[in-house]
Amino acid sequence: MNKILEIKGLRASIEGKEILKGIDFSVNEGEVHAIMGPNGSGKSTLSAVLAGRENFVVTAGEVIYLGENLLDLAPEERAHRGIFLGFQYPVEIPGVSNVNFMKTAINEKRKFANLPPLSAAEFLKMMREKMAVVEMDSSFSGRGVNVGFSGGEKKRNEIFQMAMLEPKLAILDETDSGLDVDALRIVATGVNKLKRPDNAFIIITHYQRLLNYIVPDIVHVLYDGKIIKTAGKELALEVENRGYDWLING
Amino acid sequence: MALQYKYNPAIPDVFRCRVPLPGTHQAYLSNGLLHEEVSYEDKLHLSASSPKGFDLKISPGAQIPDTLQIISVRETGQIVELQFSNSLDFGAGSDSNLLLCTHTLSLDEFVTLSELNINVQQGSRVNIVIMQNEHNGSSHKMNFKIKQAKDSYLRLNIVSLHGARLENNIDVDLEGEGGICELNGVYLVSGKQEILTFVNMKHLVPNCHSSQLFKGILDNESRAVFSGLINVAKGAQKTEAYQANHNLLLSRKAKVYAQPHLEINADDVKCSHGATSGRLDEFALFYMRSRGIGLKEAKLLQQLAFIYDVLEKVNNVPLRNRLQELVESRLRGEFEQCANCSINCC
Repeated sequence: MNKILEIKGLRASIEGKEILKGIDFSVNEGEVHAIMGPNGSGKSTLSAVLAGRENFVVTAGEVIYLGENLLDLAPEERAHRGIFLGFQYPVEIPGVSNVNFMKTAINEKRKFANLPPLSAAEFLKMMREKMAVVEMDSSFSGRGVNVGFSGGEKKRNEIFQMAMLEPKLAILDETDSGLDVDALRIVATGVNKLKRPDNAFIIITHYQRLLNYIVPDIVHVLYDGKIIKTAGKELALEVENRGYDWLING
Repeated sequence: MALQYKYNPAIPDVFRCRVPLPGTHQAYLSNGLLHEEVSYEDKLHLSASSPKGFDLKISPGAQIPDTLQIISVRETGQIVELQFSNSLDFGAGSDSNLLLCTHTLSLDEFVTLSELNINVQQGSRVNIVIMQNEHNGSSHKMNFKIKQAKDSYLRLNIVSLHGARLENNIDVDLEGEGGICELNGVYLVSGKQEILTFVNMKHLVPNCHSSQLFKGILDNESRAVFSGLINVAKGAQKTEAYQANHNLLLSRKAKVYAQPHLEINADDVKCSHGATSGRLDEFALFYMRSRGIGLKEAKLLQQLAFIYDVLEKVNNVPLRNRLQELVESRLRGEFEQCANCSINCC
């Protein structure tokens, strides 16, 4: 199996406060990793650091992505190389339609891969196909990005964007928070449809709920900036039943 | 609409809008002198006023869906300082649309004072868009004196794209009950440019509605002043008046002075005002970059998103799209070429 991501001794802080205190793990092609942990353990920080958010300072360690030093790259360069972050709180961009936003994003990525921009017909065909994946109404395409979307619609739009961008490594940051059962099912189905032997997912979640729909290969428990336990999918169920205390105190 | 032009072949085509908008009819005013009269049956008359400026009359009851575009330019001449006065009279029950573009056609220094005396008569509906696209040597002060009669409706949108010092003084007298006045503005300043907006919204009688939405983007060492007053006269009950001014500062040296004022002398009114200044949102930029959109483009998208709701108030869609393109090219910094021949923008 080919290694996609390797994180070694990663430490990161914000405004002088250390959040990640030495993270180590690797992600191979075809794998789904779940990262669980109580609030404030550093889950969202980890996803932000991997996607390149600049207000976090990496103080130690390295992250190798497809043989390249990921931390040297700007967020957009990471995206061009196949990293996708699904946001916990997607941003509203009034006046920029979903269509134009995605067209810009896709063509930037194609430019990096030395591919010509998609024709309008190719692009619209792709839009239609991918909107079907997340059962999204076509009326969304003309609307401003996330403007006036409900919480569930925003998350669905994240999965739609992921489907359009076909990432090599998708990181979903608490995509399940604030979703009702139907939305959760749609989001999970979308992820499952996009799973391939040559890509990988890191699913960050507070609850086990999402993992009923997306079965992880590996589960990590993050606490106080460190991974305190790594095991198979059964760990998620155990956390659901017993909480985190036995791991933290054990 | 079959508008009748007194077409003046002496005006070189370079001065005309190269890609006229559909349903739009142009007239040309150079250094305050109207070169072309326009009339449409007995509904619309545009003529020169003395000594300078134009006189626009919309007849009572006239329904004119098309837009009259007046292109007012300053061009090379000995005159640095120029003053002229225009009068606009919208007859009772009429419905009309006006686009006024101000340009400079040479890089000379210009100081312009133009007055717009606007009379919106009973029950009339008026849409006015002002597009200001001048150059770094141009200082232009526009004084708007607006009077609105009973049940009249005015929407005035000002898009200020370029100019060394642009000043818009807008005085509105809501003199008849049921009057509605909407003022909207977008201003973009960079370099050492200045834009000043003064609004005096006077609710003189009960049951009128006014709103003001002004948004600006400031770069480099530019400066913006917004001073807006909502004045509700004694007895002007059931007034609804709103005012908002929001600014996006792209540089640490750009400055905005915002002064919202309220003077309320009636007790049954709804009024609000608010002013903000802020920077680009780092989180939103990160969101766009995480999708592969470069930093420069992400910043541009955020700026366009910031002013989107103001441009959306222009209800003539082809015109709104044109203005959006102009704003975008201005924000991309592709605008300097227009300094010499502003009609390039069209």
